[in-house]
Amino acid sequence: MKFRKSLLFLVAITVVLVLAACGGEDNEGNENSEGSEASSGEKITIFQSKVEISEQLEELAAEYEEETGVEVEVWGTTGDDYFQQLQIRLNSNQGPSIFSVRHITEAEKLDSYLYDMSNEPFVEHIAPDMALEYDGKVVGVPYGVEGFGLVYNKDLVSEEDIADYESFINTLEEFNGTDVDGLSLAQEAYFLIGHLSNYPFSLQDDNYEYIQQLNNGDVTMADTEEFQAFGQLMEDLRANIPNPLDITYDEQVGDFATGKTAMIHQGNWAYGMFEDYDLDFEIGMAPLPLLDNDKLEVGVGSNWGINGEKDDAEVQAAADFLNWMHTSETGMRYIVEEFGAVPAFTNIEANDLDPLSQAVLDATNSGETIPWSHNYYPANVIVNDFVPATENFFLSEDVSGDDFIDSLDTAWQNATK
Amino acid sequence: MTNRMTKGWFALFTIPLLLIFVTVVIIPFLMGIYYSFFDWDGIGANPMVFVGLDNYLQLFSDTRFMDSAWITVKFTILALITVNILGVTFALLVTSALKTVNAARAMLFMPNLIGGLILGYIWQFIFTDAFKIIGEATGFESVFFNWLLNPDYSLYALVFVFTWQMAGYMMIIYIAGIQGISNDVIEASMIDGASYWQRLRKIILPLLMPSFTICLFLTLSFAFKIYDVNLSLTGGGPVNSTELFALHIYNEIFGYGNYGFGQAKAVIFFVIVAAVTLTQVYITKKREVEM
Repeated sequence: MKFRKSLLFLVAITVVLVLAACGGEDNEGNENSEGSEASSGEKITIFQSKVEISEQLEELAAEYEEETGVEVEVWGTTGDDYFQQLQIRLNSNQGPSIFSVRHITEAEKLDSYLYDMSNEPFVEHIAPDMALEYDGKVVGVPYGVEGFGLVYNKDLVSEEDIADYESFINTLEEFNGTDVDGLSLAQEAYFLIGHLSNYPFSLQDDNYEYIQQLNNGDVTMADTEEFQAFGQLMEDLRANIPNPLDITYDEQVGDFATGKTAMIHQGNWAYGMFEDYDLDFEIGMAPLPLLDNDKLEVGVGSNWGINGEKDDAEVQAAADFLNWMHTSETGMRYIVEEFGAVPAFTNIEANDLDPLSQAVLDATNSGETIPWSHNYYPANVIVNDFVPATENFFLSEDVSGDDFIDSLDTAWQNATK
Repeated sequence: MTNRMTKGWFALFTIPLLLIFVTVVIIPFLMGIYYSFFDWDGIGANPMVFVGLDNYLQLFSDTRFMDSAWITVKFTILALITVNILGVTFALLVTSALKTVNAARAMLFMPNLIGGLILGYIWQFIFTDAFKIIGEATGFESVFFNWLLNPDYSLYALVFVFTWQMAGYMMIIYIAGIQGISNDVIEASMIDGASYWQRLRKIILPLLMPSFTICLFLTLSFAFKIYDVNLSLTGGGPVNSTELFALHIYNEIFGYGNYGFGQAKAVIFFVIVAAVTLTQVYITKKREVEM
């Protein structure tokens, strides 16, 4: 009798297990046809690439849920490998309803997923030329305008010290050997080389055209004047600044905020980090004077895209959320005050911007900007190939600036072959 | 009747497991082989182009793949030696008459309870910050510098952390082996006047061969397949000098978007791991002695 009972119990467990396994499959089948429980428009999920605004976005999601009852789940962001992670989730049918599309090359890859937002009400408010368009459709809403350059401590560096290339390098040399570092970069892919590598591209007359020529093999970086100057810049940096591979983004910003570094190459997004410190000096943002360049690098950092593969109700809920975010009082306040974004929307007013964002806005308004070029780079080339090349450059004194540019050429060919 | 009964029991216990094994191991494995014949970027909606064996032929001219293979071999050999020497040593220590045996066992096993990712991040901090501070404080800057910035030393750093993680685990297996050795032979050897070294060499180690078989097999396959510690500790850098096989395949598939090519590498990877570990098991099995 006892034996019977235990046998029955085992059979029951097995049946439950098998049913659970089959049940899982059933759900999957349903999702495409009629939509399963989880995706009925009552709940949307967001997976986005900007680490800096994760917490604030969660707060915004909570407010939205309170106001409308629609649950918004914000997934943790992953940083440098965001696109890979997104790809994995989309492929396994577990994609988010709203995700980040950083630029046109990513939009091209994700074309089959991206929902056409052209008819959504908030799209008309996007500042001219700032919407992410692909194939005649509006597929991305800009997070905001962003800019990067030399963020400097006004107590340690004056604007004249970094006005042209020669005085910039002189300034670095003066700091070299003192307790204060003149400039620091950080080890993260974009802070190490991604942003810096923009300058020689953006200083071309037409950066998009130049990149096309590079893709076709009509030009090489090594033969381009701007890149030769860039190689020289890298050599001068290596000689005068601490090894960036030793420095994380946190340390870079921390050392700057506590006065141990006079300048960092960063963008207005870094201001959020300064709020954890009491800055006892004024800060400003100035252009990096490669070939005496006097313009800030300004562009759109990333865009919100909607996953069109979800069922209609969820797509609509996602669009509603974006609409609310860009037209409601709360949403607009969050964009400007909490995300610290310089809005790319005409209906959002930006008052009381932090000094870095103000510098970006001023530059944008006066047209003193050069465009971002890394949006046109071959997909992932920065993380895949530029980073190892740059690590090699910073680790070994034998690699000259010209060698470095050669290695970028090789990386580019590898990525476009 | 009884025959049918045992068959029923057999089915009851194996079928659920078999189902799980087939769905999470066998089917993905076959799909992986299938994908390795295609040129595909890994995005569901984009076309897959059948290229036959091209991916496999292309493999051997891929220098980064070859480099990665060589680094993996180097890593595996180093790890194999350090993990097992330390494992045996620890096991011998904690089976001796030490007073703190239980505490020592727990402490030595502890690192294995920490996940590889976290372990990697902890050690990243130790190598980048703690090592620098120790170096500045003691003056041994030739040893205590940031190992992760040096292409050679970062591989040693990886071996170091892997050993730290696995030695305790192997120790447990060796302890079981040592405790399984019958006291009769040990006592007999003591009466015969064998010294500790003689006893160790002639009796304990030969009788420990079955444990060696298991431990070498486990270390070999773990070391070959290591991914988490690699990702969090060095991320393959600097200059791709620590990009081991698994990470390399991940980068090929998700970094460069060559899904089919990456799968071909994964298949080759499987063949190599299977060949090496099976050879090892065959060799060590032959050396096991029966009591």
